[in-house]
Amino acid sequence: MKIKILHLYPDLLNLYGDKGNIECMRMRLEWRGIDAEVVKYTCEDTGFDLSDIDIVFVGGGSDREQKIVCHRLLEHKKELRDYVEAGGALAAVCGGYQLLGKYYKLEDETIEGLDILDIYTEQGKKRLIGNIVLKSEFIDQPIVGFENHGGRTYIGKHMPLGKVLYGYGNDEKSGAEGVIYKNVIATYLHGPLFPKNPELCDYLLSAALKRKYPSFTKLAPLDDELENTANKYITERFKVSE
Amino acid sequence: MRKLLAVWLGKALTIAGKLIGKKSSSSPGEYAMKICPDIVKGLNKHIKKGIIVTCGTNGKTTTNNLLCSALEAKGYKVLCNRLGANMLNGIATTIIQASDIFGRFSADYACLEVDEAYTPIIFDHFKPDVMVITNLFRDQLDRYGEIDITTSIIKRAIAKAPNLKIILNGDDPLCVQFGKEKNVTPYYYGISEKVLPQLDDTKEGRFCPVCGEEQKYRFYHYSQLGDFYCPHCGFKRPKIDFEVKNVVLQPKMKFTINGQPMEINYKGFYNIYNLVAVYGAMTALGESTGDFAALLTGYKPQIGRMQEFDLGKPVILSLSKNPAGFNQAIATVNTDKRLKDVIIAINDKANDGRDVSWLWDVDFDKIADENMNTLTTTGIRVWDISLRFKYAGINPDHMTSSMHEAVERCLGTGSEVVYVLVNYTALYPTEAVLNDFQKKTGRDKQ
Repeated sequence: MKIKILHLYPDLLNLYGDKGNIECMRMRLEWRGIDAEVVKYTCEDTGFDLSDIDIVFVGGGSDREQKIVCHRLLEHKKELRDYVEAGGALAAVCGGYQLLGKYYKLEDETIEGLDILDIYTEQGKKRLIGNIVLKSEFIDQPIVGFENHGGRTYIGKHMPLGKVLYGYGNDEKSGAEGVIYKNVIATYLHGPLFPKNPELCDYLLSAALKRKYPSFTKLAPLDDELENTANKYITERFKVSE
Repeated sequence: MRKLLAVWLGKALTIAGKLIGKKSSSSPGEYAMKICPDIVKGLNKHIKKGIIVTCGTNGKTTTNNLLCSALEAKGYKVLCNRLGANMLNGIATTIIQASDIFGRFSADYACLEVDEAYTPIIFDHFKPDVMVITNLFRDQLDRYGEIDITTSIIKRAIAKAPNLKIILNGDDPLCVQFGKEKNVTPYYYGISEKVLPQLDDTKEGRFCPVCGEEQKYRFYHYSQLGDFYCPHCGFKRPKIDFEVKNVVLQPKMKFTINGQPMEINYKGFYNIYNLVAVYGAMTALGESTGDFAALLTGYKPQIGRMQEFDLGKPVILSLSKNPAGFNQAIATVNTDKRLKDVIIAINDKANDGRDVSWLWDVDFDKIADENMNTLTTTGIRVWDISLRFKYAGINPDHMTSSMHEAVERCLGTGSEVVYVLVNYTALYPTEAVLNDFQKKTGRDKQ
């Protein structure tokens, strides 16, 4: 078996150690004897072909970098939408999450989004910064990470990725964080999201494998003692109880 | 009168702090400013020749202290926040500690390291004559938001200081943009030849700060520093006023500044930037630099700048605060070909930056070269740094919450040298542990 991962614009969207997510997906496949190939599209690439891609990853960038990316990605809006609607796996964090929506309204301008999710973002007064813990319906392990965003994202009728147990989340008020839609995971938990959340990483890997290999049933277990300890350290430190 | 009371309070707190073993580099100023908020205001009146402010992500403590040493070597009296307390309270503490009991003080120069985020506030209190900006790297993101925000903060500060001479790293596109601000006289320094292997590490300034398009490099040193140009708008590395060439890194660092030979006793390529920044600042102040190399002999590096302890075998302590700093420290460790034990401590207190995502932007895996004997991870975020290694295919030999235990174990291995790489709040506790071991080793020798 083989999974092909596409990292979109790592040259622009790489603000917070996003490569941790790519390495995590790659290693967790390889440890199970599944081949992993990582390809990148940078701003110098002109082609855009998702036909043999199994997982797309979009990271975070500064507002300035996000504008450049958006400009480029809008040219491929249709390909990305078709990919998602057909069940393609996609993970988007931070700036990448905002880009999936209809728009991101800044103080003095509005950045048009990819309109893959029926959500929108508006710039808020203060940045929402800190450790964050979520409980998701889709996995047992709490999701832990760090958020740092000026935008407030309103997700309408979408299903959130999780309920905020500690931290701010999408808009500071609703108690919801991120979006989960078909095989898309979109979240403000930036940077190395997957290493401390092995169950979430495996959830996405399984989705991609199921789509590509209909006979695939489930991933073999791994020794996740270190990952689980790191996850538990955060939930215990912030005294999170459900 | 309020000012005098404030100075007394600050002095009393400094003495009280010493009695309980604290450094007191900023808390006396904090309390004193509650009585008299104007302690730092009017600093210009007390300084005869000039105030130099140094900011930037990395190298500001070293650059500021080197400049102070060089000026002192010329016989000047210099006010300096040597311990790196670089916010308003730290500067107030520095002034209080320099004042006599009547609240009076004067100096020829003030060399002040200032936290970038606080420059606009601090420039309301006094006007610097010279400002040095060393570089802008990704640092403590959760405090500043993003690097673009830091840039606009510094621009706001510059606008408050008329007739400012500004010493900029000409190899850093993010620094060079400040030379285009109104009312400044820019001077640029740079390293004008390819020295290091052309690695693909963090390059946060890769996009032109003027037009936003991707920049190109004729060569680069590390991060976004190098001979850059923007093919789109023409923004490029400026003409360099203080130019480093003929760089030799081993066994002793040698290079020339504008043809003048320098031989330096410190480790680390990045120290070349700190030294040439000081050379530039001296020139801008109108001080002669013909004896520059001699002026630096009195300089003692601050703790944690590749600081060597003798614990039976050498143990070298290195402080890094961000990806660029860690990548440079790792490159320096790699130049040491002895059999090494490596300890890495990562904390996430406020002064470290609460967010440890940056661990994934550092090429930590490069430290595991053929000369590494054991790897130990520690610190508050021991699990995060351990995972960082695990996903690079390297399993730490030991994970521990105790620096004492980590050092003790390394002293018992067959290695020839131990490197301890720490981030900010891990520095002082680690230094204390190493000093304890060093005292014990000294006693054993007697």
